[in-house]
Amino acid sequence: MTLKGGTSQACAACKYQRRKCHAKCPLAPYFPPDQPKMFANAHKLFGVANILKILKNLDADQKAEAMRSIIYQSDIRDRYPVHGCWGIICQLRYRIWQAEEELQTVHAQLEMYRHHYQQQVTSMTDDVSQLELGMAPPNNSLSLFSHTPQLPASYNNAPPLPLSQHHHSYSDNNNSTSYMDSKDNVANSTWIQHQYATATNNNSNSIAIQSHQSAASQPLVVHDYDEMHPFFDTIDDRQSYIYSKEAYDSSSEESLKDTTQSIEDVAENELKSAAAGFSLISVN
Amino acid sequence: MASSSYSNSPCAACKFLRRKCMPDCIFAPYFPPEEPQKFANVHKIFGASNVSKLLNEVMPHQREDAVNSLAYEAEARMKDPVYGCVGAISVLQRQVIRLQRELDATNADLIRYACNEVPPATSQFGSRRSSGHGQGSVGDQNSGFYFPYNNDHFGDGHDRGEGSM
Repeated sequence: MTLKGGTSQACAACKYQRRKCHAKCPLAPYFPPDQPKMFANAHKLFGVANILKILKNLDADQKAEAMRSIIYQSDIRDRYPVHGCWGIICQLRYRIWQAEEELQTVHAQLEMYRHHYQQQVTSMTDDVSQLELGMAPPNNSLSLFSHTPQLPASYNNAPPLPLSQHHHSYSDNNNSTSYMDSKDNVANSTWIQHQYATATNNNSNSIAIQSHQSAASQPLVVHDYDEMHPFFDTIDDRQSYIYSKEAYDSSSEESLKDTTQSIEDVAENELKSAAAGFSLISVN
Repeated sequence: MASSSYSNSPCAACKFLRRKCMPDCIFAPYFPPEEPQKFANVHKIFGASNVSKLLNEVMPHQREDAVNSLAYEAEARMKDPVYGCVGAISVLQRQVIRLQRELDATNADLIRYACNEVPPATSQFGSRRSSGHGQGSVGDQNSGFYFPYNNDHFGDGHDRGEGSM
């Protein structure tokens, strides 16, 4: 009969206490009738009298915040009767400690990489200058580059962003410098050959041979070339294009295949002789 | 008669409530007479009745932890009637988010080095340019003042952590 008189249902607090919910009920805005558990928790921990005591000296907006914190605190106490919010505080402190420890480790690794990077940059400039002079690349450069892509052991536990991020970053700045870096990660031998090819860019004959040789000797890398068309269009010849197309386009016509095959045979022979020539050049 | 067999001075709770401290007093082990303020705070915020009900619901070996956590919460609520201990949780949560961002940014720097990519020259351990790395995580909330009841991820995390405490 008390409820019939009002326009709306009694709040959860009044419902719980089985009393009339007045229009100015101080708890009605915070305890909707459809959430009796919320009030039960707050009532169990604080009690209505204590909640009202807390709210008494606060402003309207402060009251809303205080009620939210009271309800949160009560819910946590209901879930964890022993530790309540204190348990959450301990857990957060532990997480902060953990994050700080991890941050320290990552900073140390970063410092190590930064140092390594500086060394690498200096050695890389040395290598380029030697290549421009027509000298063979020193052996230690190869070992240096094979070391760089390795990640630290703890890195395996990190979220799986490295590879995807890495790839996207390369497609974003698609210039020859970054391409050289990516090649470095894929195959060291071809990297050195292309360094050589770009260094001797004026001799068109040797360029064709060099690029074709790398395509024939490293079939796995062809897929990678496909993604790097802008760079390869400048140095690649028509034969290598047909070759790569034949390798990937299974539905190509028969006649085209025949011509490709014959061209490929010729190219293969040329390649072998060129490879011999290259090895001689590199020895010299 | 019972009090004389137990102890000379009643516990802080019984002293405060001006009642006889019985040997089976549930407050006596956790509210020694030397710490009257501890019970006063708890009583003012939660009420002695609620505290005794709560203590009866937990195992005896957990009661000390329960009392200490209640005493902490009560003291926090006395100092800050609006937020109580939830204010401390909020501060710690923001700290966790800040550290996580810093960690993400530093890890991103590390990846650039590991993949032989040139990192930005101005990067100082990636710490302070982390604002650019926020990428729609929890980050945007950090611009304002927010509280644990505004986001859900925290409660879930605690669910997992509770077992170890």
